[in-house]
Amino acid sequence: MAETVAPAKPHSPPDLVWVGLSLARKEDERLVRGLGKFVDDRDLPGMLHMAVGRCPFPHARIRGINVTAALRMPGVEGVLLGADVVSRTSPIPVLRPLPDARVPPYRAMASDVARFEGEPVVSVVASDRAVAEDAIGDIEIDWDPLPAVVDAEQALEPDAPVLHPELGTNLVAANSRAAGDVEAALSAAELVISDHIRINRVTGLPMEGRAVIARYTRGVGTLDVWSSTQLPHLVRWQLARVLGISESKIRVVASDVGGAFGLKLGLYPEEVLACLHSMDSGRPVKWVEDRLEHFRMTTHAREAVHRIEIGATRDGSISGMRDVYVVDAGAYNSPFGSPMLSSLMFTGPYRVEDAFVERRVALTNKVPVGAYRGYGQPESNFVRETLIDRLARTLAIDPVEFRRRNLLRPEELPWKTPGGAVYDSGDYGAALERALALVGADAVRERQRDLRERGRRIGLGVACFVEMTGYPGSAFLGKHGAAFGAHESVTIRMNREGGCDLYTAVSHFGQSTETSFAQVAASTLGVHPDRVVVHSGDTGSAPHNTGSFASRTTVAGTGAVLAAAGQVREKALRVAAHLLGRDAATLEIVDGIVRDTEDPDVGLPLADVATAAITGHRLPPDDSPGLESTAYFDPPANTFGYGTAAAVVEVDPRSGEFTVERFVLVHDCGTEINPMIVKGQIQGGLAQGFGAAMFEELVYDPDSGQLMTGTMVDYLMPTAADLPLFEVDHTEVPSPVTPLGVRGVGEAGTIPVAATVANAICDALWPLPVAFRRLPLTPERVWRAIREAEQGPRAGAPQSNEGAVT
Amino acid sequence: MKPASFSYVRAGSAHEAVRLLAERPGEVRLLAGGQSLVPLLNMRLVRPAVLVDINRIPDMDRVAETSDEIAIGALTRYSSIERSEAIRRRLPLLAEGVRLIGDRQIRNRGTIGGALAHGDPTGEMPLVAMALGASVEILGPGGTREVPIDELYLGPYTTALGPDEMITRVRLPVIPGRIGAIEEQARRHGDFAVVAVAATGVKEAGGRWGEVRVAVAGVGPYAFVCGEAGTELSGTSLDESSVERGIRACLAEADPRDDARASAEYRLHLLPILVRRALNRLVSRRGALGG
Amino acid sequence: MAEHLNVLVRVNGRDYSRSVPARLSLADFLRHELGLYGTHVGCEQGVCGMCTILLDGQPVKSCLLLAAQVEGHEVTTVEALNQSEELHPLQRAFTEAHALQCGFCTPGFLMTAFALADWNPAPSQAELREELAGVLCRCTGYQNILEAVDGWLRSVGRPTLRDGGGDG
Repeated sequence: MAETVAPAKPHSPPDLVWVGLSLARKEDERLVRGLGKFVDDRDLPGMLHMAVGRCPFPHARIRGINVTAALRMPGVEGVLLGADVVSRTSPIPVLRPLPDARVPPYRAMASDVARFEGEPVVSVVASDRAVAEDAIGDIEIDWDPLPAVVDAEQALEPDAPVLHPELGTNLVAANSRAAGDVEAALSAAELVISDHIRINRVTGLPMEGRAVIARYTRGVGTLDVWSSTQLPHLVRWQLARVLGISESKIRVVASDVGGAFGLKLGLYPEEVLACLHSMDSGRPVKWVEDRLEHFRMTTHAREAVHRIEIGATRDGSISGMRDVYVVDAGAYNSPFGSPMLSSLMFTGPYRVEDAFVERRVALTNKVPVGAYRGYGQPESNFVRETLIDRLARTLAIDPVEFRRRNLLRPEELPWKTPGGAVYDSGDYGAALERALALVGADAVRERQRDLRERGRRIGLGVACFVEMTGYPGSAFLGKHGAAFGAHESVTIRMNREGGCDLYTAVSHFGQSTETSFAQVAASTLGVHPDRVVVHSGDTGSAPHNTGSFASRTTVAGTGAVLAAAGQVREKALRVAAHLLGRDAATLEIVDGIVRDTEDPDVGLPLADVATAAITGHRLPPDDSPGLESTAYFDPPANTFGYGTAAAVVEVDPRSGEFTVERFVLVHDCGTEINPMIVKGQIQGGLAQGFGAAMFEELVYDPDSGQLMTGTMVDYLMPTAADLPLFEVDHTEVPSPVTPLGVRGVGEAGTIPVAATVANAICDALWPLPVAFRRLPLTPERVWRAIREAEQGPRAGAPQSNEGAVT
Repeated sequence: MKPASFSYVRAGSAHEAVRLLAERPGEVRLLAGGQSLVPLLNMRLVRPAVLVDINRIPDMDRVAETSDEIAIGALTRYSSIERSEAIRRRLPLLAEGVRLIGDRQIRNRGTIGGALAHGDPTGEMPLVAMALGASVEILGPGGTREVPIDELYLGPYTTALGPDEMITRVRLPVIPGRIGAIEEQARRHGDFAVVAVAATGVKEAGGRWGEVRVAVAGVGPYAFVCGEAGTELSGTSLDESSVERGIRACLAEADPRDDARASAEYRLHLLPILVRRALNRLVSRRGALGG
Repeated sequence: MAEHLNVLVRVNGRDYSRSVPARLSLADFLRHELGLYGTHVGCEQGVCGMCTILLDGQPVKSCLLLAAQVEGHEVTTVEALNQSEELHPLQRAFTEAHALQCGFCTPGFLMTAFALADWNPAPSQAELREELAGVLCRCTGYQNILEAVDGWLRSVGRPTLRDGGGDG
């Protein structure tokens, strides 16, 4: 139902000359030279190297650990066991609690029971990593393997092994939300399609794994931590709680981070262990995750099982939607937790008023699950968009036409959804039409008919999405128990050269915030972006912030930059007015010169103004020295990006092999601060979308509980030769609730890919009612889907979900 | 993932390498291209006491042509094979197969001898060598012996090489009028094949084919030549009913397992499709060559 | 025969003599012995390509080479492109095309691309994707990287530039 929500007035800054330009990035200068500073690029004097011994079983009791041989090995300086760690530390604080959930504590090391393959059970520090690994190899561990469960639905059955006896169950949370009367709506529907769909477990797989250097300095008792993290301030807070020392003693620095995507959101056990080892030895301790560890420890993502039903009337209006799903959370609730947006966003960009969603979170003996780009939205997009296609076709309505009828129209927004989201504004239909035009839908249809006569099958698939970006304010997060707010902050400090230093704790891992923040600051201050030097990721210099995730950095960060830069600008003009003997209202700053708009001959370099202020030599009577400002920005509401993807796919019905000939994405992220960066984010998201749609899967053997695809050879991340060309375009409807009208953009590409490709395959094979219930889409799965459609019951009826490893 | 400690020594000759192998049976590994061995070392799946670097052995990376064969030194890199004019001209199937292996970096280091000795069950090199009827020269303490490729493999990653033997050369017959084709399905570019088929045949009069060889991978514990299929197809014009018989022969010998890449059932479904593609391509290549 | 040995390695035209464990990879040697951190380590399995350097002008994965193996060979790393204050044209092509985001894979692509000018200077789009398939990128989706390399190869491939000796 349409809700009246007064949109916030967008900030009206001076003409933001650098916004909207595709400026080359500041970050590039060092990165293309190979002079980035990633954690492992630092070697400190006296540094020790840590290696971790991990549980090889999905579930096991540790009967005994013998470290005698390891301690005797030359080069080994220390060992930590679970009992030590548990007695010296507190559990890792949860950043985002599950509503109404009792979650088991997540400790930095297992002490008597290990609950997933990969869980740390012992750690060693030595003169180098190879020696530390030798020592781990010499440690004798007496294991008592326990029954394990690696399937979320099985974990919820009464006879399943319970991972945490104190909970008495593997169900940690169940939340549901209802709107309208879904039973009535489904009963009134002409047709209801339901299915049982499994979303694949994947990993974000950043090219740089996790890494940490911990340096404890005795005497002063300070702890410096270099970490490949997205959340320096929150990691600092977590470490303080875990180690029982004051935050003021801890400094966390995230310099260059080689990709994160939601996997580096918060404190991990190894960081705690490195700190303990450093405290014990008085030396810096480095731990660099190797790739085998990455697959067995860094949070996994997305795995869920959905039972979804969608109804429609004969004329193709959605009449009721119900999604009951189980999230496979792994063995512990990771500090950031598994995503909730599948619930919030389950109805997508459509006019759905009667709906029900239920989310259950189950523990299994697998790596804990956390956030990954898309955060629940790729999952719900797949189940909904594929079912919508099937619903449409079964009603003999073109799937595109079906979407036209059901997409919310601009005048219906703001719209409160059954999931609880309030879509701010947007023209969802325009993105759809643009995507169809770009892909040349009519021509594709003609070619489809033509090729069919010649025995070849191509299909056109479409999927629409709307994406939540940011959070609806810190107060909202506080009500839900989050350990963080929704705000971002920056400090801008002018220097005597007339440029400035911008301090933000947002660490850089590819989102180009150094550049986009500089563009906004430069525009406001009236200087060239080269004069804005961005210092990121250091809790020692940057004000408290949240961190970069949830596509919120641009939204929240821009607001903070505008506010801080605006305050600096105001004071600069005041000082300039004082120096020039003019009225501040007539002054402006252009290209680093403060000018009088009414008298072009009157001007002063900004450098001089800054010097006057910084030295305090010549100030207006009521002003104190200095020319800087710290500002926080809390977005008043979240905002929603959206778009449509379209694909043309050729399918070989005999082998199941298929080729994506074309892939088009039209997205809307509102105002684009740096179009080049936006496009880069979209393309990167699309590649990850393709990875999860067609290639990647973390497979656990149902009998042994062992991870079967835990190496780079077995986990198939796409190469440059595996992906189609991405054709990206955008529409631009500024958001009414953010400064500059930006909507987040980081995750959009990941959301619609699987559904678009699946729908195209189904279109190619129609009227054979092929349905996909598992991801990734592989030739074998396409072949099985074809067989089921040929031999099984009619389209849409719930079918069993089997087949060997598929 | 750092390897366990080992001693490193460079062999100056094949004989020296063999001697080193014999000195400490089972504790010595030869390092050629390293593209398969070093990951195993890094993951500590193999832990030799001694690693013998054979990359500096002279004259083991030559491509030597005679009128009826090409002999390739075991240390010849995949990239060299790819770029060899002689191989492109006289053994094009080999050049074609090599391009399916790994990526540029891997091909710059990986060697033909290493590939055959490592014996990856779905590797393209053993498969193509089988389709071409290759033989390998093996040096041991007692001297040199020659083993036809069909007899080299005893199991997955398991060859007939003794613990103190190494491959020194690979000999491939060059048969006038022979055409080859390789077809595979891989889950990702450069990846090991799910199922792969390499076929060769020699043009005979009247549109017929002689000496047809069909090698398959991914439908058993290791790649193999399906002798029955060759028998069924030789002497025919690779018409549809002959191809059908050849396919049935391949299926009769196929015995795949389920694994993370594909199920046994799908592999059996895919095999006929790829066999047909490979044989059809022989025919169309012949047509293109005007024979 | 030893678990530790002295090696003489030529990197970016300079000779270095060091005593190293036999098991030390070339990647780790370059980074932690020589302080050339531009070559990155991503998997130690020979798949991701972060560690790509040039060995005698050909791209190879340095995580699969031992430092001890490369004595007598020429090793080229990304740092070799940093001859001057100005960016090398290949580096500039990457920045102009926005062919990097987090930058972790960039040295691997730069080295692979650099070698293409000698080995395959005019690849088709499909060939170019093949030639670059040995380095993974999780951030960019590859498209801008392909554009950057394609553009640079074209600029290097102009006959006049080549005949005049061109740039490195």
